[in-house]
Amino acid sequence: MAEKIKLYDDSKCTACRGCQLACKQWNGLKAKQTKNLGTYQNPPTLQANTYMIIRFQDVEDDKGNVKWLFRKDACMHCTDAACVQACPTSALRYNKEFRIVGKDLDRCIGCKNCVAACPFEVPKYDHETDKVYKCDMCESRIVNNMIPACVKACPTGALQWGDKDVMMKAAAKRVKELGGDANIYGDKVVGGTHLMYVLKEKPSVYAGLNQNPHVPYSVLLWKNLLKPLSLLAAGGVIGGSFLHYIIHGPKTPDEDGQGSQAEGGK
Amino acid sequence: MKKGMIKATDAFERVVHWSLALSCILLFVTGLGMMFHSFNFIGNVMGGLRSLKYVHNFGGLVFAVSLVLAVRMWWHEAGKFEMPEDLEWMKAAGGYLWHVDNMPEVGKYNPGQKAFFLAVAVFGAVMVFTGLLMWFQPLSPGLLILMYPLHALGFVVLFAFFFVHLYLGTVGSPGSAPAMFSGWVTRAWAKKQHPKWLRETEESGSLEVYGEEKKEAHSAH
Repeated sequence: MAEKIKLYDDSKCTACRGCQLACKQWNGLKAKQTKNLGTYQNPPTLQANTYMIIRFQDVEDDKGNVKWLFRKDACMHCTDAACVQACPTSALRYNKEFRIVGKDLDRCIGCKNCVAACPFEVPKYDHETDKVYKCDMCESRIVNNMIPACVKACPTGALQWGDKDVMMKAAAKRVKELGGDANIYGDKVVGGTHLMYVLKEKPSVYAGLNQNPHVPYSVLLWKNLLKPLSLLAAGGVIGGSFLHYIIHGPKTPDEDGQGSQAEGGK
Repeated sequence: MKKGMIKATDAFERVVHWSLALSCILLFVTGLGMMFHSFNFIGNVMGGLRSLKYVHNFGGLVFAVSLVLAVRMWWHEAGKFEMPEDLEWMKAAGGYLWHVDNMPEVGKYNPGQKAFFLAVAVFGAVMVFTGLLMWFQPLSPGLLILMYPLHALGFVVLFAFFFVHLYLGTVGSPGSAPAMFSGWVTRAWAKKQHPKWLRETEESGSLEVYGEEKKEAHSAH
């Protein structure tokens, strides 16, 4: 089967949050008591028991009119995912068929490496279970030919799930229709995300949206250089020690030398 | 114990050494189990990778305490280089690699041992510091992610140095290992490895020789 992506079009989103609820329902995530913070954005950020939220934002245009911007905030499912590189137990791994970042919760040891590595600050740690949670693109659904729960729930067509090439064409067409600052977000970063946006404004207008997401250089340095170097250096030392032993020889005390001649030497 | 053996370390030093060494080896093994997917099987021995994480984290606390004790204990003797003889020793690579006439006399610790001590002190502290920050994650994401390559760098240095230490403490320098087991070494070994220390402690009367009464100090300190 072909690589698939989820496309979110904020110009079609009414922020009904049906997707947010469907996500909770399919994944069996209990709601917790939240506080009214003067916004419909609730909870304020992703949580261990909330894999996606619709963000609400007030922006002012040139004429001083206030308008609402919505954005579906969830795991972007990077092709080149920092979390997968950082995960020590392969609890986070690519789904070979769809290329999304799936998770095997049984394997998660709660080390939080992914929390530190993710350029989108998506994975969230839960103290009670000592595990980390994030959207897995409803892996259990998509491998059984169903569409993700959030897409299923969307009443306006703001969310779509389909083959990457088909979705990309639809996104390009929509950007053309919208004109102005409309753009596609996600296709040019981290090897291409599997949650892609059609945004009506420039990415910089959206609060909390990483303008230049990439696998952190720290992760590349750690995994691609220092990790192999650790074994190479130790191997070099072991080999070097062996060579030293057979070429130069050990530093042996002179048992019959003057050392043992000194008092009390016997 | 044979008569005439020389006391190189006291019991406290040996306990701290082994506490540091064993916790360090445990951290190497458990760390490798998390660093390489191909070493994930190490977790099986400990009842799963989650247990491995706990062994690593709490082993790190044992290491941290041992490190503080070790640094306090050895800083005075191993933490300072003495010029110019230590520099000369370094230039001659301690006589380990090629033949050197007139090696500078070595005291309680040779400059190689001092370098190893400093590497363990500095990078051990880096490991404890970065490890705790990765465990509890009190930092902003931009700072936090820097701790991971630092932790890996510390591993590169300590893991390589560990094998140097292992070799030179055993087969590479026969007679050294007893210093960390019984604490007693032969006079010939002391004469060969730490002649200045042997001479000075003998002169001051602080040298402990098995089966002999401690001699009166020639001069008060």
